[in-house]
Amino acid sequence: MASYIARRLLWTVVLLLVITAVTFLIFYVLPTADPAALRAGRDPSPELIKVIRHQLGLDQSLPSQYWNYTKALFLHFDFGDSFINNTSVKSLIFDRLPNTIFLVLGAAVIWFVAGVTIGIVSAVRRGSFWDRLLMGGALVLISAPVYWLGLLSLYLFSDDIGRFHIFPGSGAYQDAHGFFAKCWALMMPWLVLSAAFSAIYARLLRSNLLETMGEDYIRTARAKGLPERRVILRHGVRSAITPVITVLGLDIGILMGGAILTETVFNIDGIGRLAFDAIQRGDLATIQGTTIVLAAGVALMSLVVDVIYAFLDPRVRY
Amino acid sequence: MAQPLLEVKDLSVHFETEDGLVRAVDGISYTVERGRALGIVGESGSGKSVSSMTVMGLSRASNARISGQILFDGKDLLNASEQEMRRIRGGEIAMIFQDPLSSLHPFYKIGDQLIEAHRSHNDVSKAQARDRAAEMLGLVGIPDPRGRLDSYPHEFSGGMRQRVMIAMALINDPKLLIADEPTTALDVTVQAQILELIQRLQSELDTAVVMITHDLGVVAEVTEEIVVMYAGRIVEHGSAETIFGAPQHPYTWGLLRSIPRLDTPRDQELVPIYGRPPSLINRPTGCAFHPRCPYVREAHKRVDPELAPAGNGDDGHTVACLLPAKTRQALWGALSAGSSPEEAREEVPIPEHEMSPSAHGATDAATPTGAAAVEEDGGAVAAGSSGEETHGA
Amino acid sequence: MTRSSLRFLLVGMLAALAFVVAACGGDSNSSSSSDSSSSGGSAQSTDTGGQNGGKLTMLASSDVDYLDPGHTYYTMGYDVLLPTNRPLYSFTPDDAEKPVPDLAESDPQISKDQKTVTVKIKKGIKYAPPVNRAVTSKDVKYAFERFFSANVGGQYPGYFQGIEGAPTKPTTGVKPISGIETPDDQTVVFHLKDPTAVAFSAALVMPITVPVPEDYAKEFDAKNPSTYNTHVAFTGPYMVENDSSGNLTGYKPGKSISIVRNPNWDKSTDYRPAYLDSIFIRTNATDANVAARQVIDGQSMILDTNPPSNILADLVTKIKDQYTTVPSGGYRYFPMNTEVPPFDNINVRKAVMAGFSREAARTARGGKYVGDIATHWLPPNFPGFDEAGGLKGFPDLDYFNADNEDGNMQIAAKYFKAAGMSSGHYEGNDEILMVGANVDPGKAQAEVAKNQLEKMGFKVRLRLVPQDAVYTDWCQVPSKKVGMCVGAGWFKDFADPQSMLEPVFKGSLINRSSGNINYSMLNDPKVDAAMDKAALATGEDRLKQWAAIDKMILQDAAGIPFIWDKTTLVRSKNVKSVPNPYIALWDMSFTSIQQ
Repeated sequence: MASYIARRLLWTVVLLLVITAVTFLIFYVLPTADPAALRAGRDPSPELIKVIRHQLGLDQSLPSQYWNYTKALFLHFDFGDSFINNTSVKSLIFDRLPNTIFLVLGAAVIWFVAGVTIGIVSAVRRGSFWDRLLMGGALVLISAPVYWLGLLSLYLFSDDIGRFHIFPGSGAYQDAHGFFAKCWALMMPWLVLSAAFSAIYARLLRSNLLETMGEDYIRTARAKGLPERRVILRHGVRSAITPVITVLGLDIGILMGGAILTETVFNIDGIGRLAFDAIQRGDLATIQGTTIVLAAGVALMSLVVDVIYAFLDPRVRY
Repeated sequence: MAQPLLEVKDLSVHFETEDGLVRAVDGISYTVERGRALGIVGESGSGKSVSSMTVMGLSRASNARISGQILFDGKDLLNASEQEMRRIRGGEIAMIFQDPLSSLHPFYKIGDQLIEAHRSHNDVSKAQARDRAAEMLGLVGIPDPRGRLDSYPHEFSGGMRQRVMIAMALINDPKLLIADEPTTALDVTVQAQILELIQRLQSELDTAVVMITHDLGVVAEVTEEIVVMYAGRIVEHGSAETIFGAPQHPYTWGLLRSIPRLDTPRDQELVPIYGRPPSLINRPTGCAFHPRCPYVREAHKRVDPELAPAGNGDDGHTVACLLPAKTRQALWGALSAGSSPEEAREEVPIPEHEMSPSAHGATDAATPTGAAAVEEDGGAVAAGSSGEETHGA
Repeated sequence: MTRSSLRFLLVGMLAALAFVVAACGGDSNSSSSSDSSSSGGSAQSTDTGGQNGGKLTMLASSDVDYLDPGHTYYTMGYDVLLPTNRPLYSFTPDDAEKPVPDLAESDPQISKDQKTVTVKIKKGIKYAPPVNRAVTSKDVKYAFERFFSANVGGQYPGYFQGIEGAPTKPTTGVKPISGIETPDDQTVVFHLKDPTAVAFSAALVMPITVPVPEDYAKEFDAKNPSTYNTHVAFTGPYMVENDSSGNLTGYKPGKSISIVRNPNWDKSTDYRPAYLDSIFIRTNATDANVAARQVIDGQSMILDTNPPSNILADLVTKIKDQYTTVPSGGYRYFPMNTEVPPFDNINVRKAVMAGFSREAARTARGGKYVGDIATHWLPPNFPGFDEAGGLKGFPDLDYFNADNEDGNMQIAAKYFKAAGMSSGHYEGNDEILMVGANVDPGKAQAEVAKNQLEKMGFKVRLRLVPQDAVYTDWCQVPSKKVGMCVGAGWFKDFADPQSMLEPVFKGSLINRSSGNINYSMLNDPKVDAAMDKAALATGEDRLKQWAAIDKMILQDAAGIPFIWDKTTLVRSKNVKSVPNPYIALWDMSFTSIQQ
């Protein structure tokens, strides 16, 4: 196992190298704005642009730019400075990363618990009124755009612009201090972000569990005289939930950079937005930094998933 | 000891489905004495598994219609509460299944699975249950039983897994063990070991066994008494000796001839039973076996036979066949001498109208339906394509 | 997101204006006439009589570009700069025409030959902690000198390269400029190469004139890039929170700016009331809809700039007292390339101007709330606007006035006939290359324009490209022969009509290789001569002369100005505020909270 993990980590590093190279290439091949011109402002002289180009190292050859970048990255863990406001990209990223992690992990807990619970209820009561209600609701949530859901919930339940003043509204997270205040401020973003995922997970778990409940070992469990509750939870759900946990890990990894809409609507300073803004502004250094961190996050999560999977399913060995 | 351990009386299990009523089990009765072994034989779809699942109380689906009686130790299991049934399941009646790999939970150590089985019926500590589990693994012949408690099912071979299943089934000293095709998924060499094991444990532990199989060869080694089922009903019932020595039902003949036997001539061809098991939704009219019976007569398509004494002086031997007893004996004689069914049909005259006592009670012979009205003579072959067949099984 | 991208569209466009004489027009004299504020809090007298105290929160969709006064060049940067710094001259809310002395003591003194400008600065203005000393004229000189250094990277050198000895390219380190003299601590003298003192004086409102203490800033300016951006020494009524070493702890890039009172500010030296105790700017309120709602429903908040257009209509009907619109100080237009057929025929161009529906083009941009329909070039709230006919424009130009805003095909037909096309439609075979942005509103605008031209019988080849490429790769490159450039606009930097018309339409400024911003390729010697003459004019005469040039450009049919942008400003109910005409945003120095 240890050697497997080591090998995977090594591959992750290779992967990140490839990703930086690809990001570099895409940035220069695609017709985006000239970062030097953008940085130079509204009415720059060509001389100024030249100076800035030199400052940013954009006057060097592509391979040498790439070499300098990766060298700084791997030797000093230095992502360079933002092209837009000179701030160190590392500080930008690590300033925002905890917010996104908090947002995504909290939401993940909610959608996992909700999805699994609903999935079990639906599967156990298959075909019942509750099953139909829950699965119908799930369909609605899956098709509701996050952005719309976010705005709707703000207009309905936020304590500033809502109809019913219940939850802290947009931007509250940034003002919240202390763990519980932050949790409370994230209540609505969590619910909104987890809505569609809860629904997807509920459907996933339901179908997995229905399939599992037809397995021979479930019959064995019943033949042992176990209470039905134990048969479902300990034997059925245990199997049905394993693939869901794999998906969960990957979803968390992907959402690290993909919760942009939620971050936007609820004004949470997250890494997704940082990346999005950087792309809009042609801020290559920040684009690179966020891409690498997010890719590393996804790669790491998939490694974590694989390791967890090995623990969950004893048949899997590396 | 007057009371049998298990007494199944006129048990019917029907399922309501969108396609119609499935008569999976249609009025069967049998008894199992304490410490004895009963074999239930039949093809898949004959109702043998459903009947035993019903005994376990595991066929209580919302669409199941169950009638009759299942008396276990004098108690009617069909009226027992779910709680009582849980106590009995795995406690007094245990069960093992066909595929030990899929029947064991892949994610739990077998020790844990054994312990769970034990502790759900006995108020013992984990450590005690663990001791018991190791003891059972030793009993079923697994080397280093204590060490293997921490192994996962996929780490065992097929035969070993079935031993684990048996250990798990017997861990609570059940009075009855239902073994549902316990050897089907195993290698031939391993099959024998497992059967031997079951037999040994049966005598050592004094457990009654119901052995369900499609393979007469399996029951031959283990059981004293055999029930042959077809289309949800019992078509022949007798001691193992009788069933192998003087079977009276063409279906049993077919089963016997479809397995290799030591006492048949080497060069004799194995003859599979022609056709497929009948639909349980639209049973063939008359004798349910008639579409596949080489010796069918027109009248057999109208009269539904009942179990009746075989008429050979053996009290325990009953059969549900419309052929007169002496015709059956003559046919079996020809077959066991090595004739093929076609040759036997040539050799033995089969009366057109004379029927056995099985026809009794079938006072009102069903009118042949259009679909079942086939030419007199073509018999089984032609009838095989009759309407009912399209439903398959 | 839409707002920030919009902003960057504009930015991208403007970034392209590489070289330059004074880039944009200033806004000092927008004769804040009847049309300036369409509702709500119109510009009131200087002292609005607000209550002192309170904390204001501004929700902004984007951060300032820079806090460094030598580096900032965006509205948002100016918005923070104005309450925290004192340029030589600045604008009060009630006068968009003429700046008032801020750091300066009085109006600039211009020599007879218009080549020397002398500015006296006030006594008793001190830097905020940790500098704490009085401002001297040398600080202004240093501010100019550092502006030209590569480390600071001032972004509008064109306006100030007229100073004698001013560097023509970024300097390594801060180099002295011989044309700036400081005979004493309160006097700074600018010597100019050419007699351009009027336009130069108008530019003294720009942030370059904010004093920078050399003794303190030297070490920061020595770095590349300069770190003065996070160590600014403030002079205004407010300052960004800092620590004892001058580090701006209140500035969190991309997140927030925390502004507090400057303890060294002396009210008696300033015209600003500065009611508020503190200002908190959230620079990452990214969702425009939510931010606008929060301001409207909340307390003590203002919005940085336009709310999204979808709630503008709502605003107008429901919360009349919580918004104000101000002219943004610029025009948007469809230039017609006078060198490329069919637009090389002046009658064809006039026909297009007559038949083109400006109304339709404005609708494509978002309708009546985004601006007024233009009838000429110089925008409302800008010097020369009234002289150029105000909203009515020039009624004597039958092909372009307030009566044919929706296009008039009959008049168009007249000019097509004059061009020899008897059908009253275009009859030639020349195809027009039209280039526009591939995102809205540029895209919608391009489609409208294409449609209209086709209606008149033209063949149009429309190319939609990324926003930045519209200018850098197409419109600014004459060899590409772009017939019509969609999305062009020109916005003021300070209030002077010369800067609004000259860069865009002066023939002698055409750059044939690249970076050309005379998209019309207008090269009319009469216009050039008039511009040269008007550049030297002063006072009312100056405005009249530039208004006449405005009309000449219309007579040359160089393009179709179709909209004068407006900015809609939103505030919470308990906020009293007025817009600053210079930047067309709320002036936080004049904002108060009703407690």
